Amino acid sequence: MKKFQYVIQDPVGLHARPAGLLVKQAAGYKSKVTITCGGKSADARKLIMIMSLGVKQGMEVTCEIEGEDEDTAAEALQKFFKENL
Amino acid sequence: MKIFQNLFSKGDAAVGAPVAGSLVSIKEVSDPTFGEEIIGKGVAIIPTSNQICAPIDGKVATVFPTGHAVAVVGSDGTEILIHVGLDTVNLNGEHFTIHVEADQEVKKGDLLLEADLEQIKAAGYDIITPVVICNTDDFAEILPESPKTVSPGDDIIKLRK
Repeated sequence: MKKFQYVIQDPVGLHARPAGLLVKQAAGYKSKVTITCGGKSADARKLIMIMSLGVKQGMEVTCEIEGEDEDTAAEALQKFFKENL
Repeated sequence: MKIFQNLFSKGDAAVGAPVAGSLVSIKEVSDPTFGEEIIGKGVAIIPTSNQICAPIDGKVATVFPTGHAVAVVGSDGTEILIHVGLDTVNLNGEHFTIHVEADQEVKKGDLLLEADLEQIKAAGYDIITPVVICNTDDFAEILPESPKTVSPGDDIIKLRK
């Protein structure tokens, strides 16, 4: 399992558009991607679950990636967070 | 006759219009997140009313604190995102009034949000409102209705499991 933390920089948090892009990114890998924030977890492929986390600017999210392509997926997702969130 | 059996087979569901206005193709939405169906398949409505209502019987999954978007999960599991206008997250709640909270049970037609469309337009935002099925992959087919004028509750999308 791969894991990384990221503090959200986007002033409006993890709102619909970045959440949608995140879902698309996560769906591109075989690994299961789980986002945890403020004690709640969500499958990164489920947009509604991601949005329900209510992630705001300054909050730290933990991203866990587990599966056969976890190395590639973790690297790509970390890059995605840095560039988009 | 087979076509009629298919059209009305068991397990079909419909999503109602959350707001009065003109129903258009999702492809009319300039934001690629919606227009290219990144979030899921759906339609868009150019609203003529300030009242955004529940499109289906179910539960409010999440309502953004800014009031510009709301997600409703139908009692049949259909996940619907209603995003009022484009980039309206940047209004930071201004011109939006929230009438529901997360986990609240709603009936089709119940008021979810109010959006002051004139003010939103005056602030320079496109008011086109995408209505998207977030769990698109759970359905065999998602059939948007053809462009027309809609009242709240009118069928806008047919779903087939």
